[in-house]
Amino acid sequence: MIIEIFKEHQMPRLRFLNLDLCAKIIAGIMILVIWQIGVALFAANFVAKPLNIIGVLPDVITDEVFIEATAATLSAVIKGLFIALIAGTVVGVAMGRVKFFDRLLNLYINGFYTMPMVAALPLLTIWFGYESNARLATIVFAAFFSIAMSARDGARAVPPEYLEVCSAYRAKPYHIWFDITVFSSLPYLIAGFRLAAGRALVGAVIAEFFISLDGLGMYILSHTRSFQHNEAVVGVLMLIAFGLTFESTMNWVMRRYFPWYRREGRGA
Amino acid sequence: MFSIINSDNRWIKYATVCLGLLLGAIAWEIFGLNSNPAFMAPLIGNDEHPGAAVRLISNFSDQEFVESLIGSARLFITGFTIALIIAVPFGILLARLNWLRVALDTYILMLYVTPMVALIPFVLAMMGFDFWPKVVVVFLFSFFPVLYNTLEGARSVKPELIEVAHSFRSNEMALWTDVLVPYTLPYALTGIRQATGRALVGMIAAEFFLSTSGLGKEIMISSRTFDMAGVLATIILITIIGVLMMRLAQALEQHFSSWRGLER
Repeated sequence: MIIEIFKEHQMPRLRFLNLDLCAKIIAGIMILVIWQIGVALFAANFVAKPLNIIGVLPDVITDEVFIEATAATLSAVIKGLFIALIAGTVVGVAMGRVKFFDRLLNLYINGFYTMPMVAALPLLTIWFGYESNARLATIVFAAFFSIAMSARDGARAVPPEYLEVCSAYRAKPYHIWFDITVFSSLPYLIAGFRLAAGRALVGAVIAEFFISLDGLGMYILSHTRSFQHNEAVVGVLMLIAFGLTFESTMNWVMRRYFPWYRREGRGA
Repeated sequence: MFSIINSDNRWIKYATVCLGLLLGAIAWEIFGLNSNPAFMAPLIGNDEHPGAAVRLISNFSDQEFVESLIGSARLFITGFTIALIIAVPFGILLARLNWLRVALDTYILMLYVTPMVALIPFVLAMMGFDFWPKVVVVFLFSFFPVLYNTLEGARSVKPELIEVAHSFRSNEMALWTDVLVPYTLPYALTGIRQATGRALVGMIAAEFFLSTSGLGKEIMISSRTFDMAGVLATIILITIIGVLMMRLAQALEQHFSSWRGLER
């Protein structure tokens, strides 16, 4: 009897889980097969095919040039994100807490946020030269405004009751800041940071295309130009891997440290 | 002092916004007038330092520029529309076919996080320099945000609702129009809002890196000749277009957001 109940409750779930995974794997294999056959039949010889990509994968990953390119792009992105995070948080929190700054700056932050950073690229190269500074500037530019915007929203999202309680108990500003404001705006900040990271990666790649700077973007560009598409696809896969790793790390951080926060402020 | 500048009085609000604009404009003007014209252009300027705002207005009487603008608009609208026409119905279809959604959602997420700029060289190598490769780029930039967000909506459609519809012998048509579309549309609109921004980036990127045309070409030519007023004028124009489209998309999203219901 007990076993039967157990079975009834456990079995469908287990089976369902496996089914899910099976469906995913089958779909993945089907996509790859269609890709392989489609390209073999209809596209030119140099176009990347899954089997060839797997073939070149070990060589590329151990390739000195590829590792250096990855390191260059990644370190620039991390550096840029760090700068944007600090500056963006300061500006955003100032805007969120003081209405004067908000009214003064909101138009600019929104405008720059919407402005496609590619369009500013020629300008940034003239200002910062055809070197890695221009890439860093592009990354900061791409990331800063989304962080500032979400920091602003976060700082405004502090429940007023909490602040009232604080002032009723005569809490020190220090406590108000670090025990209330920071914690209630962190989820927003993380949502903004997530968005910023994606934009930063795009910014880095575009900047590398534009100013022919060594990095993953340039690796992809030069290999597609010399018709080594399989190698270039590995570069793209690396970028996807960054994106996915970042997404899942953020998800994990959210679940682990902010379990009370549900995915509401995403997007923006 | 603080209580005055932070008060919610309507006039003080407007005054602060105007002050912000004014300060920005003055700072830009001073900076532009005092720097090399090949480095930065002022807003209004004089004969020696041509201004960006003046240029922006005079651009509209320039036949070539207007043609570029129309070319860009054509590219944007074509790519974006094709993306919407495919992504939204496909997303709703995924709401209907649960197994297909489960099978594909990992891959859709993967493509959603892919920086699409990285695919531009491939598009170039495979399709060349025509108008349509650029459409493909705009399509790639805008397709996945819409699809991903519609999928998110599809995931939230309650199976009970579909069951109830079935038990009342609703036909497929009614199921779509009364359950699936209203449920997923608000999410699709979030995606559309995200996609407008991305498609704009895609449009400029395509015009830079594929055959140069449209507004991208205008920026390119101006920056090559160190005509900063031209560069800034075009960037301002693109930004204004972007903000307007974003506002429109936001208004649409807000209008339908009540359809999401109370719980998410």
